Amino acid sequence: MPLPPSVRPGAPVALTGAGVVSPIGNTLAAFDAALFAGRSAVRAQALDLPGIELPPVPVASADFDAAAVEAPSRVPLDRATAMALAAARDAARAAGLAPGGFDPERLGIFWGSGMAGAATFEATCRTVYADRRRMRPTSVVTTMPNAPVAEIALAFAARGAALAYACACASSAVAIGEAMRAIRAGWIDVAIAGGSESMLTPGVLASWQAMRVLVPLGAAASDAAAVAACCRPFAAERNGFALGEAAAAYVLESPAHAAARGARTDAILAGYASNCDGVHITQPDASGQARAMIAALADAGLAASDIGYLNAHGTATTAGDAAEAESIARVFGPGGVPVSSTKAIHGHLLGAGGAVELLASLRALAAGCLPMNANTIEADPAFDLDLISRASRPSPDLRHALCSSFAFGGTNAVLIASRA
Amino acid sequence: MTRPTFAAISSVLVEKFKVDGALIEPATTLEQLGLDSLALMEFVFAVEDRFDVRIPEERLDPRQAGVTLEQLAVLIDEAAAARPGSDAAAA
Repeated sequence: MPLPPSVRPGAPVALTGAGVVSPIGNTLAAFDAALFAGRSAVRAQALDLPGIELPPVPVASADFDAAAVEAPSRVPLDRATAMALAAARDAARAAGLAPGGFDPERLGIFWGSGMAGAATFEATCRTVYADRRRMRPTSVVTTMPNAPVAEIALAFAARGAALAYACACASSAVAIGEAMRAIRAGWIDVAIAGGSESMLTPGVLASWQAMRVLVPLGAAASDAAAVAACCRPFAAERNGFALGEAAAAYVLESPAHAAARGARTDAILAGYASNCDGVHITQPDASGQARAMIAALADAGLAASDIGYLNAHGTATTAGDAAEAESIARVFGPGGVPVSSTKAIHGHLLGAGGAVELLASLRALAAGCLPMNANTIEADPAFDLDLISRASRPSPDLRHALCSSFAFGGTNAVLIASRA
Repeated sequence: MTRPTFAAISSVLVEKFKVDGALIEPATTLEQLGLDSLALMEFVFAVEDRFDVRIPEERLDPRQAGVTLEQLAVLIDEAAAARPGSDAAAA
């Protein structure tokens, strides 16, 4: 496909720190260990909904104590916001970004979440309708969609920007990309960007189950090994995903800003594009996805053949994987790029997905190894994909990785990262 | 004001709102606690929950300057006494 004439390569932006809270680890070392071994965190969870009998659902939860996180606002934190703060603080620590070390007016916070505050909102509904108790005075500020970005902004006294992006499963990819644009445009010098999501509550899980996009566990629900292996992206027998919870954060800065404060650049954020299908509320559209990938390549000043790893959106739904296999083949040619979806092991992280999957891509660049697409032995024979199945694949010469997020609502977002 | 009521209010302030114990005296006003308006509302809710009472809105606006912890304790005691089933209400 030809490059869109309107897109010209943009300036690279430095990634100087990362932090993560996820089902496969809350440190980079733990994350790497599970990522490259394809070790799944998916388990079965019963749905505690009084008066309604529903089968258990597959979930991937993070080993994370939200109560231990200090709230800069001193108001109660939703679990997702606590995860966001923990990831942001870890990213800043890794980047050596501390108060006094930057101009607060040149710091922006860009954060993505599909349903920030979902767990607290569900709890407030129970409070009123089931328990017949009153609402807390802090309910509004705990559940608002910009609660994570607001808390992070308070924690770092950011004065440049505090923007929340809600575009379902593309939310955090969009937040990171928009932070990159703000730095390129010179509005700010440094950003903390990423996303968070935690909605593993009975009402929300039952809603996803009702959509028939979660793997039906059936009799296998009591078999932990079978549940862990239930999500099979790009397999012929794929039948949906597990919901997960996570947060991932990055420090992004202009190369000049990073150099001026002596920060180490871990990797380069080279390209970003987002667009919209404008076709259907949930059905994916291969042409919209292909346009987004091509625009991101143009933004990075790269050719498709430069990409050595593609972290796919790969939800393991029948329609989703088929559309994505088609869009990848259109952009890269048949079997033209090694592909994996890491959702098999960490679940679908929704608004946090783009941020966590960018981390998988960055770890691939750092390790010179392509993370495996766990649980899938062979790709669906209908697809012409170079799927990284069975084991992670050494790739010492890997220089550029592309990470896709395709959302309900039609938003497509693509990030391209390069070795520093 | 009863001593147990004041002690319970003090423990809510220290444990839940991380207020310095040295600040907590009967004559301390709510504004002297250093809590913002939202935290003050949460504090009053927490105290009400601890005693299972409701202070009528017209009896207390925690944002009002000059309300002391002693006055809050007295309001709690009155509300507890007026609660259906309490000894005072039965009398």
